[in-house]
Amino acid sequence: MVLLLLLIVLAVTVASTPLLDRFLGRNAGWPIATVFLALTVLVALQAPQVLGAGTPVEYTRPWMPSLGVDLHLRMDGLGWLFTMLVTGIGTLIMAYSTRYFPPGRRLGFYCLMSVFAFAMTGLVLADDVVLLFVFWELTTIASFYLIGLSGLTADRPAIRTFLLTAMGGLTLLGAVTLLVIRTGTTQLSVILADPSWTQDPAFVSVVALLVMVAVFTKSAQFPFHYWLPDAMAASTPVSAYLHAAAMVKAGIYLAMRFTPAFAEVFLWNAMLITAGLVTALMGAFFALQQNDLKRLAAFSTVSQLGLLIAVIGVGTPEALVAASVHTVAHALFKSALFMAVGLVDHQTGTRDIRRLGGLRHRMPVTATIATLSALSMAGIPPLLGFISKENLFEAFLHAPGPGWFGPLAGVVAVGASVFTFAYSFRFVYRTFFGASRSEEGTEEATAGEARIGFWTPAIIAAFGGVLLGLTVPVLDPLVNTVATDATHAMVDTHLVLWHGFNAALFMSMAAVGLGSLLAWRSRAGDAMAGRDLVPFTGVGIFEALYGGIIRVGRRVGDLTRFDSPAYHLGVPMIVIIGLASVIAVVGLELPPVAGQTALGLDWLLVGLMAVAVGSAVVTRSRMAGLALVGVAGFTTALWLFFLGAFDVALTQLLVEILTVVVAVLVLRRLPRRFHSVKRRRTVLTAAVAVSAGLCAGVAAFALTGRRELSPAADYFLDNAPEDTGGTNVVNTILVDYRALDTLGELTVLGVAGLIIIAVLRSSDLLPTHGSRQIIVGATNAAYDPADNTVLMRTVGRFLMPLLVLWSLYLLFRGHNEPGGGFIAGLVGGAGFALVYLAAPSDRDARIRLTYPVIIGAGVLVAAFSGVLGFVDGSFLKPLHADIPLAWGGHFHFTTAFVFDIGVYLAVVGVLLTALNELGLERGSDTSGSREDPPTPQEGEIPVGDTNDASPMDDSTTGGKR
Amino acid sequence: MTLAITIAIMVAGGVYLMLQRGMVRIVLGLILVGHAVNLLIMSAGGVFRRDLPLLQFGTALTAADPLPQAFVLTAIVIAFSIAIYMLTLAASGSDDDTEGNS
Repeated sequence: MVLLLLLIVLAVTVASTPLLDRFLGRNAGWPIATVFLALTVLVALQAPQVLGAGTPVEYTRPWMPSLGVDLHLRMDGLGWLFTMLVTGIGTLIMAYSTRYFPPGRRLGFYCLMSVFAFAMTGLVLADDVVLLFVFWELTTIASFYLIGLSGLTADRPAIRTFLLTAMGGLTLLGAVTLLVIRTGTTQLSVILADPSWTQDPAFVSVVALLVMVAVFTKSAQFPFHYWLPDAMAASTPVSAYLHAAAMVKAGIYLAMRFTPAFAEVFLWNAMLITAGLVTALMGAFFALQQNDLKRLAAFSTVSQLGLLIAVIGVGTPEALVAASVHTVAHALFKSALFMAVGLVDHQTGTRDIRRLGGLRHRMPVTATIATLSALSMAGIPPLLGFISKENLFEAFLHAPGPGWFGPLAGVVAVGASVFTFAYSFRFVYRTFFGASRSEEGTEEATAGEARIGFWTPAIIAAFGGVLLGLTVPVLDPLVNTVATDATHAMVDTHLVLWHGFNAALFMSMAAVGLGSLLAWRSRAGDAMAGRDLVPFTGVGIFEALYGGIIRVGRRVGDLTRFDSPAYHLGVPMIVIIGLASVIAVVGLELPPVAGQTALGLDWLLVGLMAVAVGSAVVTRSRMAGLALVGVAGFTTALWLFFLGAFDVALTQLLVEILTVVVAVLVLRRLPRRFHSVKRRRTVLTAAVAVSAGLCAGVAAFALTGRRELSPAADYFLDNAPEDTGGTNVVNTILVDYRALDTLGELTVLGVAGLIIIAVLRSSDLLPTHGSRQIIVGATNAAYDPADNTVLMRTVGRFLMPLLVLWSLYLLFRGHNEPGGGFIAGLVGGAGFALVYLAAPSDRDARIRLTYPVIIGAGVLVAAFSGVLGFVDGSFLKPLHADIPLAWGGHFHFTTAFVFDIGVYLAVVGVLLTALNELGLERGSDTSGSREDPPTPQEGEIPVGDTNDASPMDDSTTGGKR
Repeated sequence: MTLAITIAIMVAGGVYLMLQRGMVRIVLGLILVGHAVNLLIMSAGGVFRRDLPLLQFGTALTAADPLPQAFVLTAIVIAFSIAIYMLTLAASGSDDDTEGNS
């Protein structure tokens, strides 16, 4: 329960950041730090159980039972250590942030830092591999945004960091998937204890490799190390928390967690030790070369993480003890060091070593913090860093494997420590000692010490290293439990400050001695700083790879990239024709035709269709093309009527009318004639078209109409009245049986309406096309639009309410007789279209209804009726009620009717959208020429062909042009 | 048979228009092909029973298959919304030309 409480409190903290930020600004860090402190105490209180008695705290509750994924949380020693790191260091960093940032609101920062703390805590407590992966990715995402917060220059570093760590996330997903499939459980502790997969050498090597890539990317190991210095673009609190103390430790955590399974895998040991030591040496060397304090600290982190990875690779209980001590030591000294960098940066305005020096007089506290953490980092007694480094050396010396291996690893580790000493010296000496190198009068020359609130968190972390160094036996239960958890062997070591004269002590002395020599010979690193030793950088290689992949992708995409839709539309047609020809050659066995498929009257429709389509294809006039396609649509409606689909035919008829109305609004903005194309293309496309038509016709004849009624149809026809209380079977399918389909379709319809609005907001409609301006004389009857629409307006005044009433009637009776939401909505929309057409100008025609609201209301009403269905068990299940009527009998009410109202509203809303958005003459809206009745001007003025808006009018005005 | 011929005519005409230049003809082609596919769905239900599936007026024994009718009814409305959306595209921006300079 404690574990769940931890996560819930952190989640609530995330949720409350907007409020805290609003009232406290940058001081929002204080309450957050207080919460973190309380959690730290809460976790510390678990120590007697977890570390003392050695029984992990566990919590389980079902999460996705159908997938077998449960919310397993488990805090053993390892989990305890990392949870303490996250909450403890988090407390310090949050308090530090309140003074690091200038006054003002910091919502993004505090919210994301809390998200990160939540994710990291979840990651180290998760006892379920799916959960582990989810939290792992969440830390990556939090890191991406936190780096990105630093502005435009942090753009690329954020993306590079994200892509690299996300790649590691993918390999972790791969490992998790393999493990879950192999072991049949998602519980991490069970998987790790399962010998069935760890005994399979090939399988375990693959999993180890995948986990290793995740570890290396997250913990910045060679060759992925370069993202960490790159990520220094983030603000210093972010660097201190994520990129020094916590997030990069996620890789360390994962490696320690998987040690029980991989400790015997040669690939794992060899790769971890090699990559770790290479990283340690290289990182330490690069750190000495830096002039930027923050980059120095970043390379130092890379180097220290390398040591940790290498020692985990050794895998002995002794090594795991060393790893856990060093994790604690590093978290303390590195966060303190970063906070010191932040202090220097904040006070002096620079992090460049070449412009600093002698700061100890003006910033004594910061100098103390930096010195203490650097001493711990360099491994000087009596600090914790000394003890952890002793343990590291000891562990390397006793690494299993051939006899020469341990000493070699020890020598490399000492080599890394030599550089570590040198860069630690460089950091402290060049910043705080010696003569000031700042130019007179600059900010850095006059800087003073920060206020107490600013440096307190840093000094706590720095003194933590001293305190734990002096009282190191208190860590015994912790490191023993961690090493036991990580190796599954009983470990009982005793940490002491003074080991006596042993190999590790001499190694430490060698590191300090050689380090001093190096620092002296290289003039505290100045002799080596800023030189490019290799002609390439990790960032450069990444960018080259990145650019290359994008280029290859573009090349591949070029193969199908055409401006003309004709190519895109043509290719699938030709493929279908090809497939059809193959089938035609191979042949199919077909059952006989069931029943009569051709009635005499049908041929009339075939003829009608042939004439309509034939003319639509050859016409060069847009208006004629539209009208002829409209005829084809009407013929389709007749066909549907002939086939016994009365509702469908009615819908088709209404849609056809409305399509023509809307299309005419569009066509008046376009030239009269279609574009001309080359003859060759006409012939080619005609060939494709005829073949496609042939395929479709033969397929329709061969593949349909060769069986009796389908079982579904039989069921609907037999049971619809009883199931739904409706006798219009088609309508009952729409609103009862398959209402979810209809809801989806309704949403598509609504979205289409909203997209039309969106498109027209971003790209204006064309003005009325020049060739469609009608020139009429003032004496002409068509001159005054208010005059010549009087008949239609008068009729419309009565017809429009009648149409709306009729539509409501159709809606109402739809369940039993022809009608329903679609048809009713279309009829209602036709009423509005009539009003639109009858209006004398575009301006007057605007129907002042908020049509997006109507669309939204429609979808919502339909969805709401679906939610009502939960009363009876499932979404969209219709409820029924018989309401007695005053005059006898009863009215059968069903929520399917409510659903139909939603359909009605959505359809009406979309129609209103189309009429209003496309009908409005935007260009003239501002000029105002449309608002007033046109005034006669020298006999002739141009008038837009608003009243050309139906095919019938086209013929009447045609004669007057 | 007759329905299959109708479908063939409509698909041929629709595909021809879709492969031409200019958004409006593409939309018109799409509308035609849409109608053709709707008729194909009807044809899949069988054309040998043609009575209305309105049980107040007729019997379930001779009524046409209601399922394709429901499909087609929704399909018509969706095709309509797509058509008006594409027409909007044709009438916004610069021209309905789909192939650059003329």
